[in-house]
Amino acid sequence: MDSALTEISDFIHALPAMELLPSQIIEQVVKEISICYVRRGQVLPPRGVSEHNLYILRKGALSYASENDELLAKYGEGDICTVFCHEPQDNIKVCAEEDTLLYSIHYPTFHKIVKHYPDVLAFFQHTAEQRLSKKMLQVNEDAIVNSSLLNSTVEKFYHSPVVSVSSSTSIKQAAILMTEENFSCLVIVDQGQPLGIVTDKDIRRRCVAQGLATEQPVSAIMTDNMTTIDIKSTAYDALLIMTQQHIHHLPVMQNTKLVGMVTVTDLMNNEGQNAVNITSVIHKAKTVAELSEISHMIPKLQIRMAKLGTTADHVGKSISAITMAFTIRLIEMAEKLLGPAPVPFAWLAAGSQARQEQFVHSDQDNALIISNDLKPEHEYWFKDLATFVCDGLAACGFVYCPGNVMATNPKWCQTQAKWHQYFTQWIHNPEPKALMHCSIFFDLSTVYGDSHLLEQVREKMLKATQLSTLFIAHLTKNALNLRPPLGFFRDFVLIQDGENKATLDIKHNGIAPIVDLARIYALSEGIACVNTIERLKLAAGTPSLTRASAANLIAAYEFLSMLRMTHQANKLQQGQQPNNYLSPKELSKLEREHLKDAFKVIKTLQDSRQSTF
Amino acid sequence: MLEHHFLFRSFIGYEAQRKRMLKSAPAGPLRTFLSQPFPALDTPFEDIEILAVDFETTGLDAVKDKLLSVGCVDVTQQQIKLASSYHAIIHTQGSLQADNVTIHQITDDQKDQGQPLADVIAQLLERLAGKVMLVHFARIERQFLRQACLELYGMAPPLPIIDTLVVAKKMLDKSAVAYDPSQLRLAALRAKYHLPDHYAHNALNDAIATAELLLAINAERQQALSLQQLIL
Repeated sequence: MDSALTEISDFIHALPAMELLPSQIIEQVVKEISICYVRRGQVLPPRGVSEHNLYILRKGALSYASENDELLAKYGEGDICTVFCHEPQDNIKVCAEEDTLLYSIHYPTFHKIVKHYPDVLAFFQHTAEQRLSKKMLQVNEDAIVNSSLLNSTVEKFYHSPVVSVSSSTSIKQAAILMTEENFSCLVIVDQGQPLGIVTDKDIRRRCVAQGLATEQPVSAIMTDNMTTIDIKSTAYDALLIMTQQHIHHLPVMQNTKLVGMVTVTDLMNNEGQNAVNITSVIHKAKTVAELSEISHMIPKLQIRMAKLGTTADHVGKSISAITMAFTIRLIEMAEKLLGPAPVPFAWLAAGSQARQEQFVHSDQDNALIISNDLKPEHEYWFKDLATFVCDGLAACGFVYCPGNVMATNPKWCQTQAKWHQYFTQWIHNPEPKALMHCSIFFDLSTVYGDSHLLEQVREKMLKATQLSTLFIAHLTKNALNLRPPLGFFRDFVLIQDGENKATLDIKHNGIAPIVDLARIYALSEGIACVNTIERLKLAAGTPSLTRASAANLIAAYEFLSMLRMTHQANKLQQGQQPNNYLSPKELSKLEREHLKDAFKVIKTLQDSRQSTF
Repeated sequence: MLEHHFLFRSFIGYEAQRKRMLKSAPAGPLRTFLSQPFPALDTPFEDIEILAVDFETTGLDAVKDKLLSVGCVDVTQQQIKLASSYHAIIHTQGSLQADNVTIHQITDDQKDQGQPLADVIAQLLERLAGKVMLVHFARIERQFLRQACLELYGMAPPLPIIDTLVVAKKMLDKSAVAYDPSQLRLAALRAKYHLPDHYAHNALNDAIATAELLLAINAERQQALSLQQLIL
């Protein structure tokens, strides 16, 4: 190259990342430069330029603004503008703040010249990311959260065959067929062409409620002009149509032929796949920082699941599974760092995570149970493990437990023998403080490691609780301190002061009493499960709980959890910290009635527990 | 309008001279150069094909002094294309004067390894064909190129030229404020337009510096300039 271009070469060579390139490559890069001059106030790219160019600021200044003219960044001499290197992914406006002299390089050509220098390429991709980080992070999250809906076509999960009848079929025959086939809807077909659709609801509203004779043809009550969906459409399209038109069934068409049906339940089940997607992303993460970024997806997932009408039980299980995945990945990272565990151990989740009833932004409650072979010199390993994992979880948005129920607390990082001792002590000397621990430590599950360690402790513990009526009595008395709002027959008793004035604490006054009751039933009946609904199902029909009461409690629990989840989803969507304080204004009249019913159920069962002792 | 007429006539002069000279030009670089028509006068700025040129010489007298080096670069669509940049040192007889060397920094050694004048001028004419020559202070480049052509081909071609010094001078003359002639130097004008300092007295660097100045001057104008407003 001409030595005369050394001035420009020197300037380029001094730029970050370019310094990694040898002189002959710099020469090739310089040869590709076009110099252009942009007047103050002018917008990039320069007029008439449509290629994907990299711009290097030789002199002057550029400003980046968002769509809403919010200033994002300013760049000056020696800075590199990568906004136009690729197809515009973002509506960033780049404008010359001063008269600016730019070196522009056709990016694909530049890419070719430096292709053997991955560090340099990475730098350019990295700076692009940094500059777009805010937006892109969001795009990536949305992509993963939406992936199951966007990436799967209706083809993958529609029902087939669909039950179809001719238009002359009577309503009665149609209803019988639906009952036999256990389908909630039928498609009315004439000569292979779908004419309309009949659902359970149509039979109820358009036939029975109207007093229409069931001998009438089914075409009299069908919904015609039905919306269909093409088999190649995405699940996301299906969801959009269903949401917009308030329908739950969509006949699936292939060309002009009816091939099946897709329902909102199919979509919901598919949505659960997202938790699986996130879990697999977590498993691939290499650093705590990566995990921390992934954790931003959890609130989004919860919002989406809530909006889709997924049950609180399903959401709780999904979020708990994700927390478990985070914990496992962190333990694997710690083991890589610290070497293998000196003796067998298990990482335990306590409280809501163990019960699989976790929502976003919950505290971390965890503990360690270690084999009795533990030697004093091993203690450091477990201390380091606990610190690494708890700090990692905190980085992922799981705040440290305010009550210090964490594996970092030496009290909760103990051998199996010590855990046996703890439980024996709590059961035989149920002091107030011991009872406080009960609500956490009687709900334990193994997240990682040797699950036998906990199972053996639990087995012994359950034997003891079944026999100790005194313990159960104390536990019940303690649980009854949390009462649903008294006087709810007239109106709710609301929190009267502070930030959450005139609200109802749905967790402490509604959900926690049911969780406590379920625990009491489980401990008195020797049930090993920790999930509230599972405990209630298993306790149903035992001396502790009648089947009818169990069904009532489950319904109450599901309703309260649903209210809480919707409330939290709204908070999250408004960018606020989710909490448990429901304002009566948020509730419809019907919901208020349901809420009173739920409280009545809790009160009745609490009263019956009280009378037992 | 008088100015318009004058320029138009002078340009007709270039084209007429080019066509007339083409008939008698010897086969070779000059003939090839002359066979390409120059850009039309009403060409808007962004469409003018420009070659920014700078010479380093041993002095100001085209007859007595020698051409030492040539640098040039294309300006197309308001962009300076470094891929087209050309720089050559010319092999000349005799040794260089010490005080001159300090200015252009071309040493005797470099000069002795340089290319023959004929090759360099042939390269330059090939790049210049059909384009307008851009220089700062046209006298040197015009006279030295003219002289070289006379020596090599026995005739000197017409050269449409944009001179940034003259363009800037016209603008300063229009303003009522008095100015110092030193303000018309390349470095001073570049500073005025917020262009970076450049390493002067290398022919290619100066050619690029001149091209950048022209882009800056044009960008400042409310309306884009056309060739007829710029041409010398």
